[in-house]
Amino acid sequence: MKRLRSVILCIVSALAVMAADGVKPLRPVTAAYTLEAGSSHLSDTYLTPLKYSGQSFALGYERMQAMAFSPERWVMQLSGRLGLDRALNPARNATMWDLGLELRWGMMHRWDISGVDGLRLYGGGATVLEAGALYLSRNGNNPVSARASWTVGLTGAAVYNFRISRLPVCLRYQPMLPVTGAFFSPDYGELYYEIYLGNHSGLAHAAWFGNYFRLDNLLTADLRLGSTNLRLGYRADVMSTKVNNIVTRRVTHSFVIGVSGEWLSLPRSGRISDNAKIISALYR
Amino acid sequence: MGKSVSAIILACVLPLFTSCHEVEEWDQDVVGNFDALWTVVDQHYCFFEEKDVDWDEVYRRYRPRVTSEMRGLEFFNLCAQMLDELKDGHVNLSSSFKTSYYRKWWSDYPQNFDERLVEQYYLRFDYSTVGGIDYAVLRDNVGYMRYPSFSYPVGHSAIDAILSQFALCKGIIIDIRDNGGGDMTNVGTIVSHFIGERILAGSICHKTGPGHNDFSEPYPYYYDPVDNSRVRWIKPVVVLVNRSTFSAANNFVSVMQYLHTIGGGSGMPFSSEIPCGWGVRMSACPVYDARGLATENGVDPSEGCEVDLDPVLALTGTDTMLDFAVARILSDDF
Repeated sequence: MKRLRSVILCIVSALAVMAADGVKPLRPVTAAYTLEAGSSHLSDTYLTPLKYSGQSFALGYERMQAMAFSPERWVMQLSGRLGLDRALNPARNATMWDLGLELRWGMMHRWDISGVDGLRLYGGGATVLEAGALYLSRNGNNPVSARASWTVGLTGAAVYNFRISRLPVCLRYQPMLPVTGAFFSPDYGELYYEIYLGNHSGLAHAAWFGNYFRLDNLLTADLRLGSTNLRLGYRADVMSTKVNNIVTRRVTHSFVIGVSGEWLSLPRSGRISDNAKIISALYR
Repeated sequence: MGKSVSAIILACVLPLFTSCHEVEEWDQDVVGNFDALWTVVDQHYCFFEEKDVDWDEVYRRYRPRVTSEMRGLEFFNLCAQMLDELKDGHVNLSSSFKTSYYRKWWSDYPQNFDERLVEQYYLRFDYSTVGGIDYAVLRDNVGYMRYPSFSYPVGHSAIDAILSQFALCKGIIIDIRDNGGGDMTNVGTIVSHFIGERILAGSICHKTGPGHNDFSEPYPYYYDPVDNSRVRWIKPVVVLVNRSTFSAANNFVSVMQYLHTIGGGSGMPFSSEIPCGWGVRMSACPVYDARGLATENGVDPSEGCEVDLDPVLALTGTDTMLDFAVARILSDDF
């Protein structure tokens, strides 16, 4: 309750300050387009008892912006990711494909760490919508294991802006941990044909750490070469679910490469006040 | 702030200590592969009780025969022999060099079908084909349609075309002898042309866990008639079957038997694999007929309609089963 009160006070005071100044701070959008490539380890006991290994590829988009109500303190993050994995069984005579789409929206509080110039910590929550499917072509009546989930969870980040020689660099580590939500799973031996016939009972499950665990770790370094930045990074994404005696697991390790930059919406007049403060969500 | 940051870090780190959900693993050697095969079947096969198979006893009998010196074909044959204990035509073991198949469900019975006999002496090689179905009007103004596999996609337009050709016939014969099954959705497509109202087609259930008796409640499923723009058949129908009428074809018979008329394999198969890369397929989801009866061992012919193909008469161009079906349609009491 105390925390809620302090949040409300913070918002009100921020609005009051902005009204007094009469100049709204400028909040550039930090956008990034990335390509990911790495290794994938897939298991789905609905399809096979074996573990598959192979490659993982993904296209990603991320957008961050300081929030209007308290730009100094709150940051919004929106991201989307389309992934495709290809993996082989231990005998290397069967191929499993994984196609997934994920949309994520989150809000984080931002703290400047006194004493360490350029270091900021972020903490907050995010909600994730995910849909996808595993496909194992060798299976007859059970070739596909679909997945769909909506979760809410914790996310945070440690961001460090520094320079290598004269090159500004923004280093970020951000984990994401779903805490609860709902996800789809057929029953242990249930064919999708039975679902097609109309038996939809028991397909949705409440998610918690015991049956739905995911930890997505993202480490990026934005090399600020100019108006466009080069983003290099590493993602370790672990997802494991167990429901109806079906275990599904997906572990990927990927290198990330992409471009990022900041863009600003100008006011209708096309002029920016000399007093306007620019508050970046990520950079300094 | 310090407390908040600590809480966030703690929340992120704590789950790392909870391990991911375990996936059972087996060794890559013959023993590991044998155990994997036995376990996969143990956990997913659905007819242990119906077949009166003690799978633990099977393990005790076969496991000592597995030795580390065994190689490819020898090990495969032993595994296939173990799977044959299930006496199930839906159970296969597949490798790059061989696929096992339990044949006794039909090889112990007369085949009762000779495709050439029908094509030469009844259709005179003059028939049409649509949607994988061969059809023609026989001499006594009886329509004949042969659907050799439910794997051939068939649409309502194809059935409309066939039934329109038979509009003036006294009845039709649907010949699904030697039809080994295929896509269950084709069953509903065909049946919908032979019903006037929604019917209970049967029920299906599935395993809810690895235990032999972990089953869901049977879920009833229904077929609806085609809409009025389609052709609906209301005159006599005879379905011809033999022991090789299997799987989806067996399901078709189990539905049609309660409609107008006179095989086996009622478990929807599930696929899996073992570490050496061999695939295994087995019955996993029992399908019951409209009365809730299992049809795993086939559907009995309608009363008084049990006929075999006479092999001697077949040599002279007579299909005694087909003749019987024609006679039934032409009889006044049908």
